[in-house]
Amino acid sequence: MTTYAMGIDFGSTTAKTIILDGDGTVVASCIESMGAVSDEGVKASIAGALSQVGITQQDVGFTVTTGYGRRMLDVSQKSYTEITCHARGAVALVPNARLVIDIGGQDSKVIAVDSNGLVETFAMNDRCAAGTGKFLEVLARAVDIKLPEMGPLAMQATKSLKISSMCATFAETEVISLLAEGNGKADVLGAVHAAIAARTAGLVGRVGKRTPIVMTGGVAKNVAAVHHIETAVGQKLVLPPDPQIAGALGAALFALDEIRMAAKRSRVIDEEDRDVNSAMDTARACGPACKSTGTSTAAGQGTEIVVAPPSTAVI
Amino acid sequence: MQSIDTPAPPNVMPPAKKTANRLAATKVGGQIVHDYWSDLFNAKDDGRKVVWYNGTYIPPMFQTMDLAWVHGEAWSAYLAAKHGELPAQKAGEDRGYVRELCSYARTHIGSALLDLRAAVDKAAVDPTDARALTTSKLPPPDMLVNAYPYCSSGQQWDQQIFRLFGKKIPIFNLSIPLLWGGRADAGYLRGSEWEERSKYVARQLRELAAFLEEHTGRKFEYDRLSEVMSYIKKSAELRMEAMDLCTAKPSPASYFDWIVSIAHVNFLPGTQRIVDYFELVKAEIQERIAQGVGAVPNEKYRLFFDGMMNWNKIGWLAEKFAAVNASVVAGRYTHMSFWQEPQLIDLADPIMGMAQNYLICPNNHGAPIMIGEIDRVCDKFDIDGVVLHASRTCRGMTNSQFQIADSAKKHGRQAMTFEGDVVDESFYKDELLNTRLEAMLESMDSRRNYFAKSA
Repeated sequence: MTTYAMGIDFGSTTAKTIILDGDGTVVASCIESMGAVSDEGVKASIAGALSQVGITQQDVGFTVTTGYGRRMLDVSQKSYTEITCHARGAVALVPNARLVIDIGGQDSKVIAVDSNGLVETFAMNDRCAAGTGKFLEVLARAVDIKLPEMGPLAMQATKSLKISSMCATFAETEVISLLAEGNGKADVLGAVHAAIAARTAGLVGRVGKRTPIVMTGGVAKNVAAVHHIETAVGQKLVLPPDPQIAGALGAALFALDEIRMAAKRSRVIDEEDRDVNSAMDTARACGPACKSTGTSTAAGQGTEIVVAPPSTAVI
Repeated sequence: MQSIDTPAPPNVMPPAKKTANRLAATKVGGQIVHDYWSDLFNAKDDGRKVVWYNGTYIPPMFQTMDLAWVHGEAWSAYLAAKHGELPAQKAGEDRGYVRELCSYARTHIGSALLDLRAAVDKAAVDPTDARALTTSKLPPPDMLVNAYPYCSSGQQWDQQIFRLFGKKIPIFNLSIPLLWGGRADAGYLRGSEWEERSKYVARQLRELAAFLEEHTGRKFEYDRLSEVMSYIKKSAELRMEAMDLCTAKPSPASYFDWIVSIAHVNFLPGTQRIVDYFELVKAEIQERIAQGVGAVPNEKYRLFFDGMMNWNKIGWLAEKFAAVNASVVAGRYTHMSFWQEPQLIDLADPIMGMAQNYLICPNNHGAPIMIGEIDRVCDKFDIDGVVLHASRTCRGMTNSQFQIADSAKKHGRQAMTFEGDVVDESFYKDELLNTRLEAMLESMDSRRNYFAKSA
């Protein structure tokens, strides 16, 4: 039986693929940029993960997809929303997490998780790219720097400026105006990150603040975003080792559940068959008189199968 | 962390085949609505004067005077439901009414602009363009009446129409003040504020009667009003009784059946025909209950819909929810409006009861009372989750939605918000609703499975 479980997060800016072995250990993790709208990035991510383990898609027992393009993949056997998968992944990475902030390329979300790791409630950005990774991308272009340079530069801000619009297009206009007024890039970028943080704090307010707060998604790698969100919500954030893979990890854990449940069903059926065969053998051996003693084992009363233990990933 | 069983996830993509089991009676209702509009288009030929109005359900006042009436919101919704709203919206935008303005108003005003343009220059409307022609059928107004509770845009809408027609058409403004609910004795349908406001609106209704007398040259017959209201009251009672039957599981009718049945109690004439319609609806619901038939074949979730309707998405949304076994059982727009307290109407003197029903537009209460009523409806229909439609150009109905969501969560219900609009389709993004609805149902599933296993 193939026991590898695959989770794919088909996002708007990056594709992430995680492969778990039968014990829930992460054996492959591959992140690829999506580039233009196509499935090339996600194909590369899947291929990269498979090659890390040295297996093919046929060796994968179950594949769950999530993210913006979750329904577009042929390999998908089930798909779940980013809410469900990020919550699952974040709790696997930080088991006592109670609030998950995920800022991805297309949307931002805040998810409250209960002590069982179940989604209690959530809130997402209402419209367009307000407060998302895409917002940062657009504004990085406006100040003519590369995305990874954005956070460190913003941390050098010394002036408190304000970006009032959360519409990426209007904010870009504001950024250009601020630069034209002679403000430095660092100060302008500080304002951009403060604007994102204010938006995120609003979502936290809607869901209800609870701790510990875990931040996932690509924006969690941005030091300025983390700093400003911590300031805005008044709470230190817990950052997993690789926050970008939380959604794919959650999807992979759901895939692992499927494999384990299928194995359980298979064992139950095997044992039921064995019990039935045993009962039939007994009946044949004893003859009709024996049946009245009621000693045979009825089908369906076989050994109780304990549900698989918590599928916490081992990173 | 306990292992989570993973039931088949909901897939909110539009289904290949129709799943929603809409009430057959609503087809009859559709014909009644169609006949109303056809009749209206011929009003001038029939020698009737025409009132344009916006706001609450005041047509019984016009029907008493044998007038024809145009409800601006209803006209915009009618155009949207027939996918004929775009020329009117474009005409409104060309005039300078920005997209953020109430799309009902923008569409209605745009439609009036098209009509005026057509009157001045027949060539302005292409006679071969059916969509443009659809928006040039309204008979022009002889009177304007505004009766908008709560909404400030609505109160200015008819002022714009007034200006559009050269400030020459007599206009009456019925003021329906907010029920703040801040006094110590305040509550739903009770308290000193309620009593005072009821009298204030009732007095204005009598002034409206005088206005109509002045501009028609005829007497306002209160006996005739009572007769009209007898049909309205009976229809309203039947509608509420039929809605109450949907506490049954599975729910025999859905929010979308009630949505397409709004017109009949909102602006259609009070006649035996609408009474017959709601009797038909109620009978079909009773039959469905007896047979165990639901509005959604495999009802798994019971939802409450908050906010205005996307009038160009009725069928689409009905199918979307049905496809994931979600029965939208009740809503603020349908269950907390449109003569929802018919017992207040005394047929011997219906004015006070009418005024009181106008005051209890669901937006016209202070938040605690309104949200308390929403929670009561949710409890009554055993609602699992609340779907909040944040209409982009109807902020009046969306202002309190964060508080409604909070209250739903406190009562153990899931809540999700999606953005759309009443009649401007461009504000609706399918993927935004898909992701949020799917995520809400997934979390319901995982919690149900977890607690079932724990039991």
